[in-house]
Amino acid sequence: MVSALMNVMIAALSVFCLFPVAWMLYSSVKDEAAFKRNIIGLPTEFHFENYAAAIKTGKMDIAFVNSVLVSVTAVAILIFIAFMAGVIFARYAFKGKMLLYTMFLSGMLIPVHSLLIPVFIELKFFSLINNRLVLALIYTAFGLPKAIFLVTTFAATIPREIEEAVIMDGGSTFDIFFKVFLPISKPVLSTVTILSFLDAWNEFPFSLILMGKPELKTLPIALTYFTGQHSVQYTPMMAGLTIATLPVVVIYFIFHKKIMEGMVAGSVKG
Amino acid sequence: MEQNWILRPKGKILFLCMLPSVALFLIFTAIPVGMAVYYSFFNWSGGKNKKFIGLANFAHLLKDEVFHESLMNNFLLAVCCVIFQVGIAFIISSLICSKMLKLKAFHQFAIFMPVVLAPVVVGFLWKIVYNQDYGLLNFLLRSMNLESWIKPWLDDVGIVMKSITIPIVWQWIGLYVVIFVSAMKNIPEEIFESAALDGANGIKKAIYITWPMTLDTVKISVILAVSGCMKIFEHIYIITGGGPGTASTVGAMYAYKTSFIKQKFGYGSAISVGIMVVSLVLVAMCNIIFGKGKERYE
Repeated sequence: MVSALMNVMIAALSVFCLFPVAWMLYSSVKDEAAFKRNIIGLPTEFHFENYAAAIKTGKMDIAFVNSVLVSVTAVAILIFIAFMAGVIFARYAFKGKMLLYTMFLSGMLIPVHSLLIPVFIELKFFSLINNRLVLALIYTAFGLPKAIFLVTTFAATIPREIEEAVIMDGGSTFDIFFKVFLPISKPVLSTVTILSFLDAWNEFPFSLILMGKPELKTLPIALTYFTGQHSVQYTPMMAGLTIATLPVVVIYFIFHKKIMEGMVAGSVKG
Repeated sequence: MEQNWILRPKGKILFLCMLPSVALFLIFTAIPVGMAVYYSFFNWSGGKNKKFIGLANFAHLLKDEVFHESLMNNFLLAVCCVIFQVGIAFIISSLICSKMLKLKAFHQFAIFMPVVLAPVVVGFLWKIVYNQDYGLLNFLLRSMNLESWIKPWLDDVGIVMKSITIPIVWQWIGLYVVIFVSAMKNIPEEIFESAALDGANGIKKAIYITWPMTLDTVKISVILAVSGCMKIFEHIYIITGGGPGTASTVGAMYAYKTSFIKQKFGYGSAISVGIMVVSLVLVAMCNIIFGKGKERYE
């Protein structure tokens, strides 16, 4: 009896978590009138022109490209530099190493919004506002603490014998990094890739402040075009939200186990 | 991390490998923190006139009613988040780890999904849910003949913060469920089995075994939830813009408006610094409260 009750309650919670997203997805292909008549009804016809309208209103095609460019760049750079730094922290000693490592880790505690004003001022001074590469670098910087932490803890568990074997065979540092650590680190690097991609794709405040020109805006900002103007059309808006979210949802469907593991590691062990 | 003197590469190579990370971090995190503190001592509107006014911004901050209101909203969120996100997540996780629950993987998948969505998307989605005419909530209430329950969810000063709490809890509860499940899985089975042999039922097991052994994780989760609530921005920006008036303004929102809308960068920086300080104090308080708890169970 208790068991049945528990199952029902948790099932209700799962539905509560999934339904709004499902509602967004199927409402996006409804006719606006059909939507207003029956808010939760399933669509009887499929109106994909909502997507065309959404793309036009929100300039989503440009925004999509911008989001892809910025996110991919940010993640690519992050993987490369966090990998190098993480391996070094895990293996080699140098003066000030602990200080440096602590500095990176403490980055996880800083509320990123506090940095909006200073970063804006920094960039304005160098006339680097409205620069997508700079935005990508900012996302890389914000992803560094977690990425370095994950790589370092992972790399520390790799047995030394493998490196030693490479050295004996006359391998250089380059060899150690790329022939030993890189292949073995694929799991942690893929976790870092997915997590930091999600963070970059979903990011809002910095893109809002730093991308003033319409042709440079990313997807989250493009969504704001739907409100304020004339009367709100709900179904195109749902289509817009779907466009912005679909990559994330697809990635989640495929990689959900990895994402969950990565977030636990990043939040708890950090 | 052992020292590895024999196999250590040249200092130059080490330096070059560390340089990009350190440089990026300094430019976009470390230095901006210093700058935020620096600018909080000035009266500045972004142009050439920067007037040093010492602690005047902070004196004003202490008396600022809007700041107080926004901090109270942050605290309300923090309390709700701790109770609903962390508290309920703990209960759910206990159930997921118990034998009673079916379809565990599906539930974890479903409950965690909102975590990966963009806060902006969550904001827009729930804004539509709360819409008076076409929103999901009012539609469901009307279909169930509960029209009298309909309220101005986002327009009533007394209700708006409570309305906003729900999407925020909705988004993050999955993260805590997953964190707790992974912590609970680490508790050795034997302890539960010997407790069952001694006649302990589900609830007793939860209170006397699960709770003490996951106290560390509970502490981290509470700290995460509290510091997360101090950072809330996108949800408020999208759903209410801080309104009506300033009823749903939170710290980050107030700092944003002051700096970028009212163009008062000095005071805006002071607000940011204020939020950082309050966050650190709250985290320290959590450490103290939970620090004692752990000793009790050692």
